[in-house]
Amino acid sequence: MKFSQAMMALAAATAMQFAASPAALATGKMKCDSGPQSTWKSRTDLESKLTKDGWKVKKSKVDGGCYEVYGVTPEGQNVEAYFHPVTMEKLLVSQRGKVIFKK
Amino acid sequence: MLRILKIPELFWVVLAIPAIAMMIGFVQDPVTAFDLIHPSGEFSVRLMIVAMMVSPLRAILGRRGWLDWLLSRRRALGVAACGYGVLHLAFYLYDMGDWGMIAEEALIFSIWTGYLALIIFIAMALTSNNAAQRALRANWKRLQRLVYPAALLIALHWFYVDGEWKGMAVHFVPLLVLETARIILMFKQRSARRATQAMTR
Repeated sequence: MKFSQAMMALAAATAMQFAASPAALATGKMKCDSGPQSTWKSRTDLESKLTKDGWKVKKSKVDGGCYEVYGVTPEGQNVEAYFHPVTMEKLLVSQRGKVIFKK
Repeated sequence: MLRILKIPELFWVVLAIPAIAMMIGFVQDPVTAFDLIHPSGEFSVRLMIVAMMVSPLRAILGRRGWLDWLLSRRRALGVAACGYGVLHLAFYLYDMGDWGMIAEEALIFSIWTGYLALIIFIAMALTSNNAAQRALRANWKRLQRLVYPAALLIALHWFYVDGEWKGMAVHFVPLLVLETARIILMFKQRSARRATQAMTR
């Protein structure tokens, strides 16, 4: 029964490894070299700019030093988009994992 | 106290609690549909994985009381996994709110893998009763074995929608390890059986 015990231990260890590292889970698909947060433009500014451009913003957050926005583009596509927090430049737009824009 | 655990109906109620909470949240504020897509899908996956773990655990550990307990509730787990999958789709459809866009997205790899897995789940859930089991005979088992491709489709669906593998891996790696162990054990037992057969010949 040694082999099976080792397998059980491995399964448990793997599960615990992932469960114990929430920080590692937060990494996204984009990284921004954006400096200190004090130099960033506000997330509300980005949201209102996008809304003015015809986007519908569902949710936004900071991810990998970028602003990550969940919303609907003016073309009606449901996307996850990344913006640079200082320049507000659009960096990546992904529709359900399919990259439809990449800078 | 432990006798409560033996009431089969109670298990169904327990499985329904997160769904009820999600639906209350949705009714109070439909905007939350977007936030409920992920948790409903995750519950579906968890229940499927627990149901799938029973067989390899029994193969590895042999008969155990708690495994028998789980085995007698496997049908409930599977049907509930399907229920959460349907809820997951409902929240998604509501959040999309546009049939044209829903059709467009259905062609994306990460989305059609989800649909396909859900079709399998629904077929399995609809036949999860004694009458269907009798009527389908050997085909019943074949049909239920579709859970393996469904699990693979769901892993892909999760990975590609999320764009990262960690959340998916947390759930699927333990199952993969158990299934691998079960297969290795099966081969070992088979070769051991052959060895004894050769000796007795």
